[in-house]
Amino acid sequence: MAEKLSGGSRGKPIRCKAAVCRKPSEPLVIEEIMVAPPMPHEVRVRIIYTSLCHSDLTFWKMKDFPAIFPRILGHEAIGVVESVGEDVNEVSEGDTVIPTFMADCGECGDCNSAKSNLCSKLPFKVSPFMPRYETSRFTDLNGEALYHFLSVSSFTEYTVVDIAHVTKIDSGIPLTKAAGLLSCGVSTGVGAAWRTANVEPGSTVAIFGLGSIGLAVAEGARLCGASRIIGVDVNEDKFEVGKKFGLTDFVNASNSENKSASEVIIEMTDGGADYCFECVGMASVVQEAYASCRKGWGKTIVLGVDRPGSQVSIPANDILCTGKSLMGVLFGGLKPKSDIPILLNRYINMELQLDEFVTHEVTFEDINKAFDLLVEGKCLRCVICMNDQ
Amino acid sequence: MAEKVSGGSKGKPIRCRGAVCRRPSEPLVIEEIIVAPPMPHEVRIRIIYTSLCHSDLLFWKIKDFAAAMFPRILGHEAIGVVESVGEDVNEVSEGDTVIPTFMADCGECGDCKSPKSNLCSKLPFKSSHFMPRYETSRFTDLNGEAIYHFLYVSSFSEYTVVDIAHVTKIDSGIPLTKAAGLLGCGVSTGVGAAWRTANVEPGSTVAIFGLGSIGLAVAEGARLCGATRIIGVDVNEDKFEVGKKFGLTDFVKAANSENKSASEVIIEMTDGGADYCFECVGMASVVQEAYACCRKGWGKTIVLGVDKPGSQVTISSRDILTTGKSLIGVLFGGLKPKSDIPTLLNRYINKELQLDEFVTHEVPFEDINKAFDLLIEGKCLRCVICMNDQ
Repeated sequence: MAEKLSGGSRGKPIRCKAAVCRKPSEPLVIEEIMVAPPMPHEVRVRIIYTSLCHSDLTFWKMKDFPAIFPRILGHEAIGVVESVGEDVNEVSEGDTVIPTFMADCGECGDCNSAKSNLCSKLPFKVSPFMPRYETSRFTDLNGEALYHFLSVSSFTEYTVVDIAHVTKIDSGIPLTKAAGLLSCGVSTGVGAAWRTANVEPGSTVAIFGLGSIGLAVAEGARLCGASRIIGVDVNEDKFEVGKKFGLTDFVNASNSENKSASEVIIEMTDGGADYCFECVGMASVVQEAYASCRKGWGKTIVLGVDRPGSQVSIPANDILCTGKSLMGVLFGGLKPKSDIPILLNRYINMELQLDEFVTHEVTFEDINKAFDLLVEGKCLRCVICMNDQ
Repeated sequence: MAEKVSGGSKGKPIRCRGAVCRRPSEPLVIEEIIVAPPMPHEVRIRIIYTSLCHSDLLFWKIKDFAAAMFPRILGHEAIGVVESVGEDVNEVSEGDTVIPTFMADCGECGDCKSPKSNLCSKLPFKSSHFMPRYETSRFTDLNGEAIYHFLYVSSFSEYTVVDIAHVTKIDSGIPLTKAAGLLGCGVSTGVGAAWRTANVEPGSTVAIFGLGSIGLAVAEGARLCGATRIIGVDVNEDKFEVGKKFGLTDFVKAANSENKSASEVIIEMTDGGADYCFECVGMASVVQEAYACCRKGWGKTIVLGVDKPGSQVTISSRDILTTGKSLIGVLFGGLKPKSDIPTLLNRYINKELQLDEFVTHEVPFEDINKAFDLLIEGKCLRCVICMNDQ
């Protein structure tokens, strides 16, 4: 068990516990690892809370590249800065931070534009390494390198994250279990409704897939004043859960004897929804969402992560004659460093629901229970509480 | 040869000439036809100038019975004068100059009232062979056999009948020129796509796939919007010289298979991709190519080309999710005919918008088939067909 280290650890490797993924689909192994000190532009973070996201599951199960082993998964978290590398002025030891898989360098054309959140300086890719140096900061006790995940790797007591992937949280904000959800899932969903779609009051919205992302879209649409929020899922229990986040209607996706979900939605909305969100990660669902979208101004927004090689096909003349638009977005189109603090404030002011996404908690030792719960579809977010909390 | 009929024709059928398409890919036959008087909400128009658009060609060639109907009067880009109106028509009167459009603009439905859509819900767009409101034809040949309409316009005829939702009135002060009719389809589609749909900002980089009239109209629109780089892509290198007139700054030859694809060249020359890519050909593979060389983050790919029925556009899911690019198609450049055509006409009259430069050829009505030859051979932009008595 690692101690809450004092300033004496700065510049030195830290020995601590991590949940290492050594083989696809096998339980993570809690073992002692070494975490190197941060290089220039890097920050070493003590993780306080982390949570399991479906993308972790996808890469846990994947056998081929870009899956790679042994790896420290996890990318949704909140923590405290233990030490910083050279050239880091944005945060200091003791600051509360939220690491993100999305980079926000603040300098490149994309980061400076209101119209894009895809940093060009540290472009998004599923890398096994630190973004700037393409090396790992983790080794196991045999000296073998452990790979990073999505530039975060939060299933460990300590991690190292590039400053571009670190959002500082104002010291006045309480460090709650739910706050870390803004590191990925809830920001993605809320952002998609708020920033990407820019849902107007009175809009009709359809959400395909009612996991945490889909319900976060509902929450975002609710805050934007959508008057109708239609949830689509194979599991009818999600409707009750979803009402909390603003769902007004539900369509069962697995109702194959009768009509398809899109036919039902087109009927109930008299032509289609203004905005359709795909939150599953399947090309067929993207196509269904596109079909359910209204002609003229309808937008279909893709949030789900599909398997590599998957393709979406749409009839060319539908594209031409319906005027619908299709777009995908990472992290809900949000810029972490500016938008996470805004969402946090809305949470503190009791406007944005975050705590309601946390349905389960486990200790770090029981991290594999979180995987079981998500695989069985029995949770929204299961928060993993690191030691000494 | 039909006379310029006087008010005496109101309420009666008119016997005149139409260029009838009787069989796919065969020359149109100029023959005498009967044009019924307009029903309520309809307008009978004497066509003055009409021009050939690639969509006419597509439906002229098509054999698949579900999509095509013969015999048919093609043509959908034109300008004319109102001969008479049916009941309940107050917007236009006899003698008014009008531009008929395949796009409806009823002015009453939710879409027509919204700035975000030009897809009228009251008279929705479909590839119909009849009048939109009554699903019947106003044309018969001398044997009494019905002749089908095309895209609600059917302008390859001395007289046609068009629903008032498909008629844009032109201010009487505007001169009735050969080029003005181009705003009925092609130039509006291209200019509108850049101006309204993409909303091209000054300083933008734009890539245009397919440099026919639509593609060059996109260039013209992008030029007017202040784009600093307008890259044209075509298989025919001669289009570059033509295109410079409309603002093309660069040219990439498509189908250069030994070397790089057009999209690879564009990504390189723009250091990441164009802000806006327009597909003006009508081929799924070109849509995919346009999407590929569109910039991540804010890039928009806009589809204008009409593809064959059943064609599918396929894009990798990962690209959709991780690039943030958007894909959208649009008819008539996203424009609302009754409000936007007059705006564009004014810009033409004020010498800001180039229209005359799109007219590269003229033929009299008798020689309408020459227009088809020219377009098939890729030797023209717009060939205007001048109806008689002009």
